[in-house]
Formats: sequence, structure tokens, C-alpha cells
Amino acid sequence: MAHKASDGFVYLDQREADQTIRVDLAVRDLALVVALDHNRDQQVTGAELNQARADITRYIEQGLTLSSSAGNCRLSGDQWGMTRHSDGPYASARYGIDCPEGTVASTLHYQLLFEVDSLHRGLIQRMGAEGEQLASLSPDSNTLSLSGAAMPLWQTFADFLWQGVVHLVLGFDHVLFLLVLILPATLRHDATGAAGRTTLKQRLWQLAGIVSAFTVAHSITLVLAALNIVQPPIAWIEIIIALSIALAALNLFFPVLGRKTWKLAFGFGLIHGFGFASVLSDLASGTSQKVTALAGFNIGVELGQLTLVALVFPLLYLMGSHRVYQRAAVPAMALVVSAIALYWAAERFAGLPAM
Amino acid sequence: MMCSSKCTTDDRYPGGGVTIAAGLALRGRALLPLIALLGVATHSYAAPPPIEPIPQAQVLIELPDLSNVQGAATDKTPEQAANRIQAFLQQARTSGDPRFLGYAQRAFNEWPDARLTPRLLMLRASLNQSLHKFDDARADLDKVISHPSDPALKTQAWLILANLETVQGRYDHARVACTELESRYAGLITASCHALVKARTGRAEEAYNRLNAMTRVSQSHADRTSIAWAQGTLADIATQQARPDAQIRWQKALALDPDDLYIRAAYADWLIQHQQPDDALKLTEGYEQVDNLAVLRSIALKQLDDPKLAALKTRLNQRFEEARWRGNLLHKRDLARFLLDVENDPEAAFTYAWQNWQTQREPADTALILRASAAADKPDARQTVTRWLEARHQQDARYPENLL
Repeated sequence: MAHKASDGFVYLDQREADQTIRVDLAVRDLALVVALDHNRDQQVTGAELNQARADITRYIEQGLTLSSSAGNCRLSGDQWGMTRHSDGPYASARYGIDCPEGTVASTLHYQLLFEVDSLHRGLIQRMGAEGEQLASLSPDSNTLSLSGAAMPLWQTFADFLWQGVVHLVLGFDHVLFLLVLILPATLRHDATGAAGRTTLKQRLWQLAGIVSAFTVAHSITLVLAALNIVQPPIAWIEIIIALSIALAALNLFFPVLGRKTWKLAFGFGLIHGFGFASVLSDLASGTSQKVTALAGFNIGVELGQLTLVALVFPLLYLMGSHRVYQRAAVPAMALVVSAIALYWAAERFAGLPAM
Repeated sequence: MMCSSKCTTDDRYPGGGVTIAAGLALRGRALLPLIALLGVATHSYAAPPPIEPIPQAQVLIELPDLSNVQGAATDKTPEQAANRIQAFLQQARTSGDPRFLGYAQRAFNEWPDARLTPRLLMLRASLNQSLHKFDDARADLDKVISHPSDPALKTQAWLILANLETVQGRYDHARVACTELESRYAGLITASCHALVKARTGRAEEAYNRLNAMTRVSQSHADRTSIAWAQGTLADIATQQARPDAQIRWQKALALDPDDLYIRAAYADWLIQHQQPDDALKLTEGYEQVDNLAVLRSIALKQLDDPKLAALKTRLNQRFEEARWRGNLLHKRDLARFLLDVENDPEAAFTYAWQNWQTQREPADTALILRASAAADKPDARQTVTRWLEARHQQDARYPENLL
């Protein structure tokens, strides 16, 4: 058996949806960090190694962290045994990896054995869809970024474009806010009953103005936050986003914030941009192609927004000719939206950490 | 005997003890190196070895003495820390096990630079030498030498420095260090220091004769460490000159200290080069855990057409593969030798031999780069090495075509 410096072997398999990780640590090294040689005869038997199984797996789990955009992943024991590398016997443990919300692990943090041996190295082999990645982790460099290493730029762009669309459509607060914003443009008569009829062309211009103002505003803050130029507290941003929806809805009837909807869209758009940025920063933590990710995500948000408006606006506009829509449906919608938004605000406020 | 064949500079120094004579146990060689940087390698590696059930009754390993490892953080005084670190370095030398270097490095983490005593500085230099961080080692030695400290420590620092400079082929610096040593510690070790530098710079005959005469005279009263040192140096110079008594010199040196991994490897190499593979096998039997001895053994097996070669080749390939993954090409010389003489891959052998020659220029390193550059057809590299040899008037029987 060879003498060599201490290495821990880590095999991470992310080729399939069921991610697995295997960790091999030398019995010789484990003897330094868990009680292995119970009878103190300077020998480790198979029985002694088996007896220490719980200690060894606990040691591995505290020193090896996998995380994804959604948080830390959980390791669930799958196989236990021994194996051999060039310098002798190793304990080997295989785990399934469960990351929150079905995400894929994007970061591996390794700090096994560094506390006793500064020349110990974590040798990482990662099998991914795009091929194999090898790395050697040391006390000074103990974290490995797992995604994006070999991903082509267009792939990153496409991934984040899709994430942008998905986030806009599934992130109901942005959808509701947009809905409230476009409501005035769907009314043939102003809700307040003032002024005369306006043409479709004027309505479309009004709509374009509102959507553009919202887009420009949230793009500004998204970029500022994504590039770490401004970092507002995200918990408060989420509360303000909820309140903005309620305010916009109430403003339809009690125009406390003025009748210029585009100004409202711009002002609150700035806040919504920070909301998008917090999602993006979580998603992009595993990629080195931040600018590409940002561009893709932002364009995705705009595409999602335009699609939504293109689908919803004609529908509402057609209904706008009916008195019922104007007299009952719009106030009802505004009321429901305000109620939901206020509920969110309260919920998010309650969720704030104690001051 | 400074080093002949593989003298990674870590090999010899008389220990962190108070006197040079106390250094016998510390004089082992065979060390290892390893600087690992974060690196993402590019080529593909074999599938992981299978996970097997653990046999309950079987003894999996014999543990070395690890009692020193725990508690590095509890050392209160620099002396406690130095004792612990010295014990690690000693264990690394005598066993050839580099894990002890990692424990030593860990122990140093507890001691900020400002708190390093001269003794700790010297131990750190020794550690860095073993890790092939030669410049760091030199910087620490300079500190010990240039500041007021224990004269015995300074003497040791000069000796380590002389060795380091000789191994790196910086003979002018080595000569200065040997001279400094002379004024502090006259004797066979100092005489060996001068003899080796002389031998490497065109005066091998004179160096051999003088050291030989002095050794004979000192035989009766010199300590065992000093005699072993001188015998090793004589064997080294005899090999350089292809003297007929080289074999007897190696045998004497090994007999004086059979645990000296460095002498063992140098003698095994001599046997291989003189077509005595059977004896080389005997000499390397049971030392397969040490990389350079394992590589020499594989060459001997190949010379004998022995079927056991296949299994050893597989194990060596696994070791080197793991080392490459680690990112430190530690034993570049061993790997180059293996690639050249066992795997018949001159291109790859040349790459590693060339890298190795950038930091280590013992005759064995030089012989290897000359052979590899011839095999891989690299006339430019060959010319660079030849010019370097010419400027130093270095002649060696292992590269006769470069004799002036």
C-alpha cells in the first residue's frame, strides 16, 4: 500500500434527476476524527469500522454541504461499505440528494479533515449532463460551483429567459399589479364618469405607456440590484410590493396617487424590480455568466408581461362595452385584488424577523 | 554524502535537535511533496472503485502512532509546538508518509508569523523543503541565519541551506553555505558539503580523494552520523565518476543506516543502471509504499520481463492518477522516470522531467531530462541543459555524451 498525502474522494452524479453523492474517506484519516480503534490495539478491524458507522456518517454530513438556489440540500443515506484507493482501505458512503423544490445542487462546500491535516484535499468528480468536472478542494478553496462551468452562453441565456417568463406568470403579485394597471385602459368611460369617450387607438397608447413605464422602472432596479449596486432589504420590498397592488387597486376609485397611471406604474415598477432581482440572485448564484443571466431573465420578464397583456387586454376591452363590466366587474375585481394584496402584506409583515 | 540520485532537498538535515549528531534519526530521505492548488483537471479518470461490504473479522489497517495529532491547538509555548512539529517531520522522514507533513502544516496554522521562534522557522523551512516550496524554505533559513539566535540552530540552518542550494544546482550559494558551516562545525559533514559542491563543478577526482582520505583518518573517532554522511557522499561521487568502488560505497552507506530510504533508492538506481535487476528487486522488496522505490522496482521487473510488472504498473498508474487529480505534481521525477522507462511514453516523460529540472538539478534529474529530451526529440531542451552543465564544468558518467 502506498504512502500518499491524505485525499477524500467525492463522486457527485447529477446526470439524472435523482442526484447522488458518494464520499470515500481513508480509514487511517477517520481514526483521527472519530473513535475507531476501540480496543486501542493500533489496528482497525471491519467490526470496529462498522461500529463507528453512525459517527462517520454524522462526520461526513457536517463537513459536506450541497446547496441549490432554493437552499441547502438534504443527504439521505443509501449505501455503506468499504472501498480501496491506492493507499489502502476507505469507508465509503453513498447518499441521495434532496434539494428544496426539486432543484439541482449548484454548490458543494467541503471541509472534511482540514481541522487535522492542512494538506488534505477533497478530490471531487462530478458527472453532469454536459460531461465530467474534476476539482481539488483545499482549506483555502473549499467551495465548488457546480453549474455553469461548461454551459454555453446561449444556454444560460435561454435558461434565464425562460425563468423570467415563468417568474412573471407564476409570481402572482406582478400579474395582479399589471392587471390593476391596465384596468383603466379597458374602460370606455372613465370609472369616475368624467370626460367623454376615447378611441381604441388612444387606449392602446395609454396601455403602451403604462407597460413601458413599468418595464423601464423595474429594469433599472433589477440591474442595480443584480449587479449589487443597491441591496435593499428583500423582506420589506416584498411587503411594499403587496401594498403597491392594493394601492393601485384603490387608486382606481379614490385617486389618491393621481390619475396618471403611468407614473404609478413607474414608481411601483422600481420596487417590483427589486423583487425580480432577489429571485434572479438566487437562481444565478451557481453561474459565472451573471450578465448573460441578467439579460436573459429581464427579457424573459418582458416577454411574459407582453404575452399576458396581449391575452388579457383584448378580452377586458371587449367586455368593457358592457355596463355590467364597468359598474360591477371592475369594482369587484379591484376589491378582490386589494383584499388579496392586503392579506399578502399582512402575511409578509408577520413573517418579518423580530427586530 | 549529500544526495546523489534523488535528493529532494528535504532529505538531509541534521534535525531540529541541539547538535548535529542528534540528527541521525532525522536524516531519512524519500520525501514527498505536495502542493495542491485548486484545479479543475481536464482529462478523464477511471470510474470509482466498487463499494464492498466490510468484512467484520478482518483487520483493515495497522495505525501508525497518531497520538501527536490531536492537541496541536493546545500547545501553549513555542517549544511545545516545535517538539510536536519536529516529531511529525521525523515521522514523515522515517516512514516516507507525507500525511505527517499535513499534520505539521496544520500545527503551524496555530502560530502566526510574528510568534515564530528561530527553531520554529527552521522547522518550517524543513517542511517547505519537503513540500518543494524552496523559495519559502530559503526565506525562513535566511531569517534564522541573519538574526541573533542559538549558534547550534544557525549551524543547522546553514547545513539545510547548503543542501538546498546543492540540490537546486546553485553551487556558488552552496559553497558559501559550506564555508559558513566550516567555521562552526568542522568535521566530516562539512567536508562532505564541500566535496559534493566540488564534484558538481568539475573537480570530482580531487573531491573524492580528499574526502576519502579524511574519512579514513576520522574512522576511529567520528560519530556514526558523520561517517554515514561521508560514505553516502563518497558513493555519490563514485557514481558520478563511474568508479569501480561505487557499489561497495553504496553498500557501506546502506549498512550504516538501513532505514535511510534515500540511500536505498540511490543504490537501487545504481543496480538498475548496472544491469543487476535481481539485486534491485531485493533492495526494493517491501518498500513499494514509497513512490520512488516502487518506480525503481517496476523498472527492475521490466528488465527481468517479470509477469509481476503488470500488477505493479496498475498500482503505480492509480497512484499517479490520484496525484494528478490532486493537482500537485509531486513526484515529477518519479512519474517522468516511470513514463520513460516503463510506459514508453517519451513525450509525457519529457514534460514532467522538464518541469522537475526547473527546480531540482541533481545528476539524477539532469540524466533524466537528457534521456527524455533525446527520446522525445527535443534538441532545444537538450541544448539548454548542456549549456548549463558546461558553464559549471559538470561531468557525469550518467551522461557521458555531455562530457567535455
